[in-house]
This record gives sequence, structure tokens and C-alpha cells, in this order.
Amino acid sequence: MIVTRAAAAARAAAALLLVAALLVPCGARAADAPGISHYGLDAAKSALEFTFMQAGAANKGRFTRFQVGFDFSADNLAASRLDVTIEMSSADTGDQERDDTLKGADLFAAAKFPQAHFAASQINRTASGYEAVGKLTIRGVTRDARVPFSFRTATENGAAVGYMSGKTSVRRLDYGVGQGDWKATDQVGNDVTVSFTLRLIAH
Amino acid sequence: MAVRNTEHRWGALAQLFHWLIVVLVIVQVTLASLADDLPPSARKVALLARHKSVGITILMLVILRLLWRSLNLTPLLPDTLKPYERFLARFTHAALYVLLFAMPLSGWMMSSARGFPVSWFGFFTLPDLVPKDKSLYATLLTTHETLAWVLGAVVTLHVAAALKHHFMLRDNVLRRMLPFTTTPGPKA
Repeated sequence: MIVTRAAAAARAAAALLLVAALLVPCGARAADAPGISHYGLDAAKSALEFTFMQAGAANKGRFTRFQVGFDFSADNLAASRLDVTIEMSSADTGDQERDDTLKGADLFAAAKFPQAHFAASQINRTASGYEAVGKLTIRGVTRDARVPFSFRTATENGAAVGYMSGKTSVRRLDYGVGQGDWKATDQVGNDVTVSFTLRLIAH
Repeated sequence: MAVRNTEHRWGALAQLFHWLIVVLVIVQVTLASLADDLPPSARKVALLARHKSVGITILMLVILRLLWRSLNLTPLLPDTLKPYERFLARFTHAALYVLLFAMPLSGWMMSSARGFPVSWFGFFTLPDLVPKDKSLYATLLTTHETLAWVLGAVVTLHVAAALKHHFMLRDNVLRRMLPFTTTPGPKA
């Protein structure tokens, strides 16, 4: 009797486990999807830069503080995700006066909108690599955005790492970056090129 | 009016260079003083962008002007000048040419040291003359502003001398740089 009861309990437990195993991949948590690796940013070996036209010449800046979450499997793009959060106050164009102006109310308004955010829940394969399709929020304005990128993995000192790089163009006025006379695009261009080379570490 | 200079008169091209640069220097002073009073703003960026473009234009014109001068006669100074006046005239003109080079060059260097590449009206971007360097920028800013005051002083001397020649000495020194006038001889 005891043996039979124990066997029944074991069978019930096995059935529950099976149901759970079937349910989880369909659930909201991509983190548990099969084959997916979870990557975080190696900030010291990563760069997020932007290039803009000022007074007819190309000028460069970068963000020194940002976070990246990347859940990825080349064989399971449906469950792959990219999430980037940028601290706007970390913008550095190499000129204090310009940086202060950039973070001010008419441009980034970093005090009111401290972060920019890109959340992609769709990753597509393209001819030259991948493309993250999602929502980009800057200065409180959210718009659809596509960010093409390349990605390769490597094993370094026994650790799984990934290298991601890409470039995209953002029209600053689409996000209200430029109020008042900064709406003019003759001296500060509307198109801003954002490029990134990231070293990611699987965890 | 002839295109080339004669012994007694500046030709059309030399006059064009002279007066065009006069107008552009006035534009430069205006743009710089307008921008100077402004806080960082799009308007300030626009004014300074134009100031830089016009400055590079002056630099190009001064190079062409000196080339043309070297291929041409230089009208003679009046015989009536005393040796020190002759020296002062030569010195003032040399100083003007040096300053017309030094102003745009120090401005261009200053922009490079600040880390702001110089564009010529958006058509092309000039190479950086010096690497980005904060203290060098501060030095060049002071240099550029000091040279502007020196230029102002030398121009004042130049204008005063031209007016003296015209109204007191009554010779043709001013008239021979003016279009729409005739200058018959060395001592009209």
C-alpha cells in the first residue's frame, strides 16, 4: 500500500514537472527560454558614441554611463531581447560648456528626463547581421526604432563573451531634443549618428 | 580702370581685394561682438560659425592678394615723404598684412584647440591645426582678442594717414585706392 501511494505521488510530481516544463518557455520570462544566453555590459571595454553636425562640421560625443541587457540565441531569435538604458547626464562631448548646454532644458533636459531607453523584444536576422526592433525613448518621447548590429561570441579565459557593434541614425527633433531656437537645423543638424561597440559578458 | 596697378594708381583687382577685406573685417567685428554678449545658444553657434567662415575667406583673400601684389607694380609713395614717414608707411602696411594672416590663423588654431572643427560655410571642413588642449585654447583666445585690438590700432593709424594725405597733404594717396576717381599724375 505504502509503495503504491508513493508511486502515485511520484507520478503526480512528474506530471506537474512536465506541465511546468512545458509552460515556462511559453511564459513571459524569456530568461528561461532554451538556448538563450544572458549578457551584461563590460562597461570598461564598451563605447556608446554619437556624431552630430555643428556649424557645418562633424563633432563627436559619448555616453560614459549606460546599461545593456542582452538575452540572445542565434537559434532562438523569437526569445531574444535587447534592453539599453542611457544616463543622459553622462553625455561627454569633450567641452564642458557644450555638455552643460546639451544637458539643459532645451536639449536633453537631463534633470527631467534622466534616462534614454531602448527596448527591443524582436530581433531579426539581416543580410549583414541582426536588427533589433523596438521602442526608443528619449526626453520622454517614445518612437519605433530599428537598430542594426553585428554580434559574435568568443570564449576568453574560460568566460563566454559577446561583441556587439552597430550604428544607427536618430533624428533629434523627433524626440524634442531641441526646443526654442535649437529647433533650427542649419547649425546643429537634425540627424545624429549613434554608434556602439560593446563587450558583453554572459552570466 | 585698369586691372593691373600702375606706378601711380592701384588697379581694379588690388582695389577689389582691399575694399572686400575692409567690408569683411567689419563683418567680423560685428559677428564677434554680437556673439560675445550671448549665452550658449543656437544663435551664438550660428554667429560664430559665420565668423569662422568669413575669417577663412579673409585668409584666402589675403593669400591671393599677396600673390597678386607680388606679380604687380606697387604704386610709389610720394617723394615728399620724410624718411620716418616712409618707414612708418611701410611698417603699417606690413603690420596690416601680418595681422590679416594672424587673425584668421589664431582663430582657426583656437577652434582646433577647443575641439571644434572649422567648416567653411558648411561646404568643407578644415583640418585641425593643433590638437585639442584646454590651456592652449585659453592662450589662443587671449592672443586672438589681443591681435584684434592691435589690428584696430593699426587700422586707425592707416585710416588717419590716408585722411592726412587726402585733406592735409592733398596728394593722390587715398584717391589712387578709390574706384570711380581719376588720378592724373604723381602730384595731382
